[in-house]
Amino acid sequence: MKLLQVVFKDALRRKRRVLYTALGVAIGVAAFVAVLTVARAGEDRVYAEIDKYGPNLMVTPAVSDLDLQLGDLRLGTLAIGDNYFAEEKLLEVRRIADDAIREALDIQDEGDIATIAPKLYVDTELQGTSAMVVGIDPEQERLVKTWWIVSEGRYVEQADEAVLGARASASLRLGVGDTLLLGGEQTTVVGVLGETGSNDDYHVFVPLPTVQRLFAREGLVSAADIRALCSACPAVDIADMINEEIPGVRAVAVRQIAETEMNLVNKVNRFMITLAGITLIVGAFGVVNTMISSVHERVRDIGIMKAVGASRRQIVRMFVYEAIGVGVIGGLLGYAAGTLLSYVIGPLIFDDLAVAYELQYLGPALGLAVLVAAVASVYPAFRASQIRVAESLRSL
Amino acid sequence: MLEVRHASKIYGSGPARVAALNDVSLRVEDGDFVAITGPSGSGKSTLLNVIGGLEKLTGGQVILDGRRIDDLSENALVDIRRKKIAYVFQQYHLIPSLTALENVLLPLTFGASNGHAEQRAMELLRRVGLEKRAGHKPSQLSGGEQQRVAIARSLVNGCTLILADEPTGNVDQKTGIEVLQLFEQVNRDGVSIIMVTHSPEIAHRARRIVSLRDGEVVSAG
Repeated sequence: MKLLQVVFKDALRRKRRVLYTALGVAIGVAAFVAVLTVARAGEDRVYAEIDKYGPNLMVTPAVSDLDLQLGDLRLGTLAIGDNYFAEEKLLEVRRIADDAIREALDIQDEGDIATIAPKLYVDTELQGTSAMVVGIDPEQERLVKTWWIVSEGRYVEQADEAVLGARASASLRLGVGDTLLLGGEQTTVVGVLGETGSNDDYHVFVPLPTVQRLFAREGLVSAADIRALCSACPAVDIADMINEEIPGVRAVAVRQIAETEMNLVNKVNRFMITLAGITLIVGAFGVVNTMISSVHERVRDIGIMKAVGASRRQIVRMFVYEAIGVGVIGGLLGYAAGTLLSYVIGPLIFDDLAVAYELQYLGPALGLAVLVAAVASVYPAFRASQIRVAESLRSL
Repeated sequence: MLEVRHASKIYGSGPARVAALNDVSLRVEDGDFVAITGPSGSGKSTLLNVIGGLEKLTGGQVILDGRRIDDLSENALVDIRRKKIAYVFQQYHLIPSLTALENVLLPLTFGASNGHAEQRAMELLRRVGLEKRAGHKPSQLSGGEQQRVAIARSLVNGCTLILADEPTGNVDQKTGIEVLQLFEQVNRDGVSIIMVTHSPEIAHRARRIVSLRDGEVVSAG
């Protein structure tokens, strides 16, 4: 018979106590797993956004935002300026962007490098409901929106064709082959896009010149997306140069927005990890507590073991074995509970966050649990090893 | 051979001071069977405890096989318990989560086990007539059976001295006689026994009787 078997048989007899001790570990580990899982999902989402939009810049008309304030109270912002800018400004934008990329990547080629997708937004009424018609350069738009999928029909090719976002198709009750009356002219719906989860889903896309002509906005655009080819491209520098050199437009690198969001995510994560740490420490004290009472419960047994030849070291070892067992049980429970918890708190902390369980945290969770249980068992084990045979056996 | 020389044990201090043992001397030759009797409070259990190193002496010495053991460190005492001295208690003191066989094996778990541990433990259970109860937990055994398991446990290490504290105190008279017969048998095999009892009947079955009163030896046979 091995020492481990003695510990195991004893633990089996005290299942409830062992489970209770394990719960102390599990609570702390659960908090950690939940926080890390949520933090990871939050980061993943921001990274996914950066991956998707990262190399992009957005050029919009320069509007000044006037902060409306009453004392310390912010009442919102009032945008002042035009909703459009001249399409020809995009030529200058292209020059700046291409030069910057050429310089950054050391390209000699003279051709166009950046993809520039101009857009003209017109809020109008279609089929009796209000709808947003967006004039696009079909080819360039497709290059920028690499995630677009045509789910029905085909993509826009001709001037009198339209492709609908998924939601727009549903709300307008229009499908492939239907026609819609746009500014008095017949336009044929040739395709419907798959859902993207963005505003694109609600839009009706028609070639830019058609929209400009039909709504009397020749030579004007509302915005342009720029894709700078590579994630290493100096998007932020390009944005700065555009803002400096071209009056009337404002350029923002999507990366800047994402980084701001990332900073916030990181702050939230740090806060949550701190809370999880505190929970772990509190849980550890719980373990110390239950272990000390289990030492008291077993004073007699420990006394007997010493009387038949157990050394202090062997008594300590028995407690360490038990702590490892408690740690493993607590770690497994904590991992399971933490993962479940993350599914609950994830969407509360980051809106609509899709949480995926992280199997990679199982190992560290077990390690952490065993470590906490082992550390928490040091003092109780020491106390147990100091028990004097005569006193322990007399006490009963 | 065990020798107790001028042992004294004082509890408390000042006016609350109680002398549990007062200049007690005792010799136990190898293979002896000594009963220590006396009314309660006479110091008989204290004497047994100081012999086994469970309590420290205030004065005097305990010498086992020519070596002082009353001043040994905890670690050195562990060695004595594994090789020389075993206990049998009034309350049996078996580990409730272990079976009879496992309880007998327990000392070998802590000490050096020679590989035939299970065989030896089983043989001892047979010797105390409990081979059929080997897989039972203490809660499934009668008092007498538990005490026989405890005796088997005291023998498994091959100790040469058994200290028994009221071993028949918790069982009926008939079972008490059986336990005593078992001790006699063990004693015939060469193991020395020092047994504390308050019952003169039980004491008379030992080879020698040492009577204590108020911490002093009043008669030694």
